[in-house]
Amino acid sequence: MVPIRAPELTAPADVPYSFCSQPRSLPSRPKYREQSNAAETEKGPVRYGNIMIDPRVVRGNVLSVRPPPPQVLGTEPHTLEVKRQRRAQRQVLARKFAHEQIQPGTPEPVEGREHVHVQTELYLEEISDRIIEVDGECQTDDFLDRPPTPLFIPAKSGKDVATQIEEGELFDFDIEVKPILEVLVGKTVEQALLEVMEEEELAQLWSHQRAFAELRNAEFAELQRLEEQDRRIREEKERRRLEHLEKLRKQKETAEKIAARAFAQRYLADLIPSVFNNLHDSGFFYDPIERDIETEFLPWLMSEVEETLQKKVLGRTMLDSLIRMVVEKRLDEFSHPPPSAQTKAPAEEPRAADAAPKMSGEADAADQPVAEKEETDQPVAEKE
Amino acid sequence: MAKPRISAYLPPDIDPTKAALAFGRRALPKLNEELQSLELLTQQRALMALCDLVHDPEKVYQAIALGFLDSLKNLLVHEDQTVRQKTTEVLSLMALHSIGREGLIRSGVISALTGLLDDPVDLCRKNTHQIFDMLAKLPEGAGGVLQAGLIPPLVLKLKTELDEIQELILGTLSNCLRVEVSEALAAGAVTVLKEKLSHPSTVIRSKAAWALLEISSHAEGKIEVCKEEVIPVLVSLLEDTQPEVQVSSTGALMFALVTPQGRSSAMGAEAIPPLLTLVAEETSKARLNAIKTLTLLAELPEGRQTLLEHRDAFQRCLDDPSEAVQRAAEIALTVIDWKP
Repeated sequence: MVPIRAPELTAPADVPYSFCSQPRSLPSRPKYREQSNAAETEKGPVRYGNIMIDPRVVRGNVLSVRPPPPQVLGTEPHTLEVKRQRRAQRQVLARKFAHEQIQPGTPEPVEGREHVHVQTELYLEEISDRIIEVDGECQTDDFLDRPPTPLFIPAKSGKDVATQIEEGELFDFDIEVKPILEVLVGKTVEQALLEVMEEEELAQLWSHQRAFAELRNAEFAELQRLEEQDRRIREEKERRRLEHLEKLRKQKETAEKIAARAFAQRYLADLIPSVFNNLHDSGFFYDPIERDIETEFLPWLMSEVEETLQKKVLGRTMLDSLIRMVVEKRLDEFSHPPPSAQTKAPAEEPRAADAAPKMSGEADAADQPVAEKEETDQPVAEKE
Repeated sequence: MAKPRISAYLPPDIDPTKAALAFGRRALPKLNEELQSLELLTQQRALMALCDLVHDPEKVYQAIALGFLDSLKNLLVHEDQTVRQKTTEVLSLMALHSIGREGLIRSGVISALTGLLDDPVDLCRKNTHQIFDMLAKLPEGAGGVLQAGLIPPLVLKLKTELDEIQELILGTLSNCLRVEVSEALAAGAVTVLKEKLSHPSTVIRSKAAWALLEISSHAEGKIEVCKEEVIPVLVSLLEDTQPEVQVSSTGALMFALVTPQGRSSAMGAEAIPPLLTLVAEETSKARLNAIKTLTLLAELPEGRQTLLEHRDAFQRCLDDPSEAVQRAAEIALTVIDWKP
C-alpha cells in the first residue's frame, strides 16, 4: 500500500534533504462544508486527522519482509481486485477469531443426543433465514453551519464549598490598607519626629542659653570689675577726703588753741591782782591774832556773859515765883467769901501762873524787861 | 461576621509590657486609676504606657491637670525598683517640657525626690538628678532646690557618685549657686570642686570650673576661692586642650580676679601668658573671657607693664565678628593705656 514514489533525487552535498514535494501531514476531511467567512476570519487550528485511524497509513509490522505484491502486466485493475479479496479474507479471519474468542465452548453432545438451540426467553422469536428486511430511508438535513465553539467548561470536580460574603466585606486590600498604613507610618514618624525635635529644640535652647550665659557672665564680670574699680577709687577718695578733713580740723584746732591761749593770757593778766583783792576782801588774809581773838575769846566771853545774865534771870524768876506764891496765898485767904470771884480769880490765876512760868522760861536778857512788863501787866489785869 | 481582629494571634508589635490605652481623652484618666491600683503588674504596665505618652506636650498638660503628680509622688517610695525607676523616668520626661517643670515645682516634687538620692538603683538616682538639673535651670526651680535644703547633700554626693551623675550634680549646683552661695560654702563646696578640677573626664572638669565661676560671682565666694588657693589650679587649666574647659576656667578666673587678693595670686601664678595665647586664637570661644580677665589684670601696675608690650593682640581682637569681643577689646585697651 505504500505509494510508489519516484525515486528520490540524489541530494546535492550541501543540502541535507531535498524533496520533490515537501512531506506534509494531511489534514482530515472537514465534516462541515467550507464556510465562506471561515477562510478569512479564522484560520484556526488546522485539524489534522488522527493518524491512527487513517486508512491510508500502513498497519502492522513494517520491518518484516513482505512478499512483494504480484507484479503482473496490467496489474492495475487486478491489484484492486486482489486487494479487495485480500481485505475480505482478512475480515473473515478477524471475525472468526473474534467469534471464537467470544463464544464459550460448549461441550460436544453426548452420543445419541444432539444439541438443539432452544429459545428459553419469555417471548419467543421466530428464527428464519430470511432476514426481515425493512427498507428505510434517511435523508440528512441540510448541512448546518458550524456552530460557534462552545465555551470550554471543564467538568466539575472536587468538593463544593460555599462562602457567603456580605456587603462591604469584599475589599481591595491594597486600596484599603493605604490609609491605615499612612496613619500607622505617619504616627510612628510623627512620634519619632517629635522626639527628635524635642532633642533638637533642647539642644538649641541649651546652646542659646549657653551663649546668653557667656554674654551675661562677661557683662557681669565687667560690671564687677567696674564696681571694684569704683569701690577702690571711692575708698581712695574717701580716705583722702578724711585725711584732708583731719588736716583741716587739726589746723583749725591749732588756730583755736593759739587764739584761746592768747586770749586766756590777756584775760588772766589782771587775774592775779583781782584774785588777791577778792580774797583780801573776803577775809582770807587775816591777822592770826585777831582771828584768834575773834574765834576763841569772844565766844567765851559771850558765853560767860550769857551765864551771868542767866543767873540774873534766874534770880528774878525766883523772886517772881516768891512774889507769886505770896500773892496766891493772900488771894486764897481773901477769896473764901465770893465764890464767883473765887472761880474767876483761880481762872485768872492759872492764866497768870501759866504766863509766869512761860515768861520765866524765856531766859534771854533782851526779853527780860518785856517779860517783866508782861508779868506786871498780868497782875494789873488780874487786879482789874 | 467580619471582626476587626483578623486572626486569633495578636499583631507582632503589640507590647505585652504596656497597658492598653483607652481611646482619646479617656486614656490618661484610665492610666491614673491603674496607677493607684494595688496590683504590681498593673502599675508597672501603666507606667510603661505613660512613659511613651509623656513625650507629647499636650499629654503632659493633661496629665498635670488631672493630678497625676500626686499618684506619682506616692509611687516614688514604692518597694519595687522597676516602679521607682519608671516613675523617675516619667518625671524626668515631664521636666523636659516647660509646663511639666512648672507643675513639678508647684506640686513640691523636689522634696519628695530628696529621699531617692540614696536609692540603690543607679538609674533611679540618675533620673532624679536629671530632674533636679532640668528644674534648676529655671529660677523658681533653683529656688525650690535651695529651699529643700538639697545643696549640702549634693555636695556630699559629688565625692561619692558615678561620673555621669556627677556631671548632672555639677550642672544643678551651678544653676543653684547662681542664686545663693552661703549654704554651699558652708558645706565645703570649694574644696570638692577644686578636687574635681583635676578629674580625667573633660565634661566634669569644665562643669566644675563653671560651678566655680558661679561661686565666684558672689562676693563671699570670691573670698573663699582666694583662700582655698583655687586660682593657681584654674591657671593651670588654661593650658588644657579641650575648649570647653578653657572657656569655663577663664570665666571662673574672670570673676575671681575682681578682688585684689585674687589678682595678686593670679600674677603670682603667671596667668598672663596662657591668657594671651587664648586671646590670640581667632576661633576660641574663650576669647571674650580671656580679654575680660586680662582687663582685670591690667589694673595692676605690673600687669599693665606686661600688657603694654602685647597691645597688638588686643588690636587684632577689634576685628572679631562678635560685638561683645570688640567692646571688651576696646575696654581692655582703655584700661591698659590709662595713666594715673
